[in-house]
Amino acid sequence: MANFKIARAKATSQIMYGVCTACAVLIVATLVLITGYLLIIGLHSLNWRFFVNLPQSDPPGMRNSIDGTIILVALASLAGIPIGMLAGVYLSEYEAKSVLAAPVRFVSDVLAGVPSIVVGILGYELIVVPAGSYSGWAGAAALAFIMVPIVARTTEEMLRLVPGSYREASIALGATKAGTILRVVIPSATGSLVTGAMLAIARVAGETAPLLFTAVGSPYLVHNPSQPFPSLTLRIYELSNEPSPEAQSQAWSGILVLIALIFLVNLSVRYFTRQRK
Amino acid sequence: MTRKGRSYGEPIMRCAATGSAIVILLMLAALLVVLFAAAVPSMRRFGMEFLRTSAWRPNSLAVLKLDARGKPIRDHRTGMKVVDHYDPPRFGALAPVTGTAQTALIALILAVPLSLGSALFLVRIAPLWLIMPVSFLIEFLAAIPSIAYGLWGMFVLGPWMGGPARWVRVAGFLPMPAGIESRFSRLFMRISGLHWLAEQQIGGKSVPIPTTGRDILVAGIVLGIMIIPIITAISRDVLRNVPPAQIEGTIALGATWWQSCREMLKYSRSALFGAVILGLARASGETMAVLMVMGSAATIAASPFTAGTTMASTLAGEFPEAATNDLHRGALMELALILLIMSLAFNIIARYLVVGKSVRTSAAH
Amino acid sequence: MFRFLQAGAAILTMGVGIAAADVQIQAGGATFPNPIYQEWIKDFGQVHSDIKIAYASKGSGAGIGGLLDKTFDFAGSDAPMNAEEMKKAQAASGDVVEIPSVAGAVVLAYNLPGVGGDLKLSGPVVADIFLGKITKWNDPAIAALNPDLTLPGTDITTVHRSDGSGTNYVFSSYLATQSDDFQTKVGFGKTVNWPNGQGGSGNAGVTQAVQKTDGALGYIELNYALAQHIPFALLQNNNGKFIKASPESVSAAGEGAVKAMDEDKTLAVRLWSRDGDDVYPIASFTYLICYQDLGYLKDRAKAQAIVDFFWYATHDGQSKASELTYAPLSSGVQQRVEQMIETITFNGQALHPPK
Repeated sequence: MANFKIARAKATSQIMYGVCTACAVLIVATLVLITGYLLIIGLHSLNWRFFVNLPQSDPPGMRNSIDGTIILVALASLAGIPIGMLAGVYLSEYEAKSVLAAPVRFVSDVLAGVPSIVVGILGYELIVVPAGSYSGWAGAAALAFIMVPIVARTTEEMLRLVPGSYREASIALGATKAGTILRVVIPSATGSLVTGAMLAIARVAGETAPLLFTAVGSPYLVHNPSQPFPSLTLRIYELSNEPSPEAQSQAWSGILVLIALIFLVNLSVRYFTRQRK
Repeated sequence: MTRKGRSYGEPIMRCAATGSAIVILLMLAALLVVLFAAAVPSMRRFGMEFLRTSAWRPNSLAVLKLDARGKPIRDHRTGMKVVDHYDPPRFGALAPVTGTAQTALIALILAVPLSLGSALFLVRIAPLWLIMPVSFLIEFLAAIPSIAYGLWGMFVLGPWMGGPARWVRVAGFLPMPAGIESRFSRLFMRISGLHWLAEQQIGGKSVPIPTTGRDILVAGIVLGIMIIPIITAISRDVLRNVPPAQIEGTIALGATWWQSCREMLKYSRSALFGAVILGLARASGETMAVLMVMGSAATIAASPFTAGTTMASTLAGEFPEAATNDLHRGALMELALILLIMSLAFNIIARYLVVGKSVRTSAAH
Repeated sequence: MFRFLQAGAAILTMGVGIAAADVQIQAGGATFPNPIYQEWIKDFGQVHSDIKIAYASKGSGAGIGGLLDKTFDFAGSDAPMNAEEMKKAQAASGDVVEIPSVAGAVVLAYNLPGVGGDLKLSGPVVADIFLGKITKWNDPAIAALNPDLTLPGTDITTVHRSDGSGTNYVFSSYLATQSDDFQTKVGFGKTVNWPNGQGGSGNAGVTQAVQKTDGALGYIELNYALAQHIPFALLQNNNGKFIKASPESVSAAGEGAVKAMDEDKTLAVRLWSRDGDDVYPIASFTYLICYQDLGYLKDRAKAQAIVDFFWYATHDGQSKASELTYAPLSSGVQQRVEQMIETITFNGQALHPPK
């Protein structure tokens, strides 16, 4: 009787061992399938004209959308990263003296989970309507809104990992708190801080919903953020609804470029962290 | 260390940091205020009924003047039917909420076993040299933008599910001509008690559901793939933090590999549950992938083979026209508010479960 | 990092951009006329290279919404503004001007491999299909209209608009005239509560959904069906004849328009369900809508550009209409349109359109 139970337990164990392996294999296989498909179809209609032409030219290109995404993400980072990092600094360095720290940490966690479409609607009501026009500023603001909690959280966590002894030594040598933060704590965590920032950038570069009602897209080459602004994600979404096969293959190429951009950002994350020992 | 900026540096840094912290609080406040204010017309009109009604009707409905026999009266001059009055627009959140629930459920059913299995693989099976690459690959899944998933679902998975994979709905996995296929599947479903998968109720009649590949099932599958990286990553970290003593103890008592895994899972079950909730939060808030794949219909049916809509995709689809009608906009904002509150709740619960548990465990050791 | 951006910006700004002195107009709305509006914008842009118009094809509902929020300088819509929208417009910036730019046809496109392009349908049957009463293609009601076709037993998947749509308004209004049940259960409007089927975003989205779904039946503008070579049905008109949609059959529907315009004292008249042997039953104008006084734009050049574009669209642009399978405005309608355009002002001053 006992032997049967043991045998069954052993058999179950073997099976589950295989099942767990199969799970991992399945996930990796799905990834390979999806990215493989994207690569093949995307490369198919990709040529140098894609990067140079505008949607209205013949053959249509996505130059304005590529510029648009880069500019939007750059603008969003200009606001999102400093605010996020400073908030992270606050949570990690000034926490002891403050009553705000716990609520801010809580709210920050909670904001990180807000659906991005809701952020877009907020951007519409607060920026687009009063200004009377869709704009790249509104789009960048929506993206920054998404970035701030992410950067704040990762900054806080990374700064906490810096040993307290560094801070104590710095103060013992006569530095101010601000000086300590700027010259000791942050530099020793630079690699991981950059990682956090880059991850936020990669995340935000792929967002579509927050831009739907803020930047709204444009067929022209636009570099002034006070006007409706193009973006890769918006253009891909527009193209996905078009019934013509040319539009669909353009959409795939756009996805490829977008993923390549994001992948590049992620790769530089690895590079940076390796660089800084 | 410098004397130069000493009198200015400290307060500036303090101000900047505190300011940023306050900005975060203001962000949440702005969100709540704007949504709430805009949702008021709808909340005032519909109250709690909003969550229970399934009709989503932005237009007014004509109620015709009927004569004694119940037939519509026609105007003598124009020949048009006479309208008695117009039933005002009605909005009910039940259809989007049900759609969100259905897709999230399917996503979880797909993602949770796969994620937990992979997490166990990474922590208990994989040789050291394999852990990094596999982790990296899984995290790469997380970096793929949601619109890429939407496109893939729309042009690859959807047509496959509506075409070659149609047999998923028909017993016998036999290819057959279109007309017979649906009748056969209905017959089979009826016999096996699964008829709700193949039929839906429209206007009181039982109507067959064609498999088009643009339905809740496909949306659920795409969402499932999207949330796998989150659940896997957190589960892997959680499982890695299980004290080795626990595992060694079970093995010392003669447990098989799987039995010790079960102990690990049991030990960290609240944190794992938190990971699942985070995945759920992501799945319920996703807009683009669902919008592109789901078929956008404000109907409710038990079968996942019907088209449906989620709260986020209704918002994305109908928001631009909301400026024309205060009640419509209010209803949409109310949906946004529900979505926001839901994701807040999920994140709070998950945070307590994941962080709380690890705090407790680290305190105990 | 910054240097890279600067260099990049220098390279990227080569090419067609928007110069500071350009007049930019942001418009949007109906997907129904989008193909011809994009043509007009391109042609107009070649003559006026400093005027950059962007028309966002997002549906009539989004168009009117944008106009009310003033994020669009003018809107395109197949559905005229209703009373509540008019009230909001009044509160925002006063009266609006709605001028028909072109007329088109809403066709029933279907996906039935093996059946070809000769399917015949009638209003009541279409209404029943969209109500869910008729669920299979070989239903007796459809077969009765098509005695010479063998129809398969496929389930019908209806495809409707998921966004706020003027095409939806036109189609649902038409069905409301064809079926009491439809009028009382679903009604008409830019968005209605369709009891079954799938949704597509924009005319383009519905076209794509019909293309990809076996047994689908969806309503789209004629141009979209022809551009993608999708078969569409002949529809029975009030006189019992089965008519294939075309610029001619739409113009036939437009013949009664002038009289209706004078009677109802508005340019927004219905073209569907009109009597006549050659009339296609689901024809509709599509409108360009802007505020009557454009002073709120604070830019006279912009206001003038809008008036010039409207004039271009309703005069020189009409020659493109039949080529793109829309019906041009008849001379009677054009006259009344001219009168309407001349009422557009900038802070009370008339904006003289180019004659």
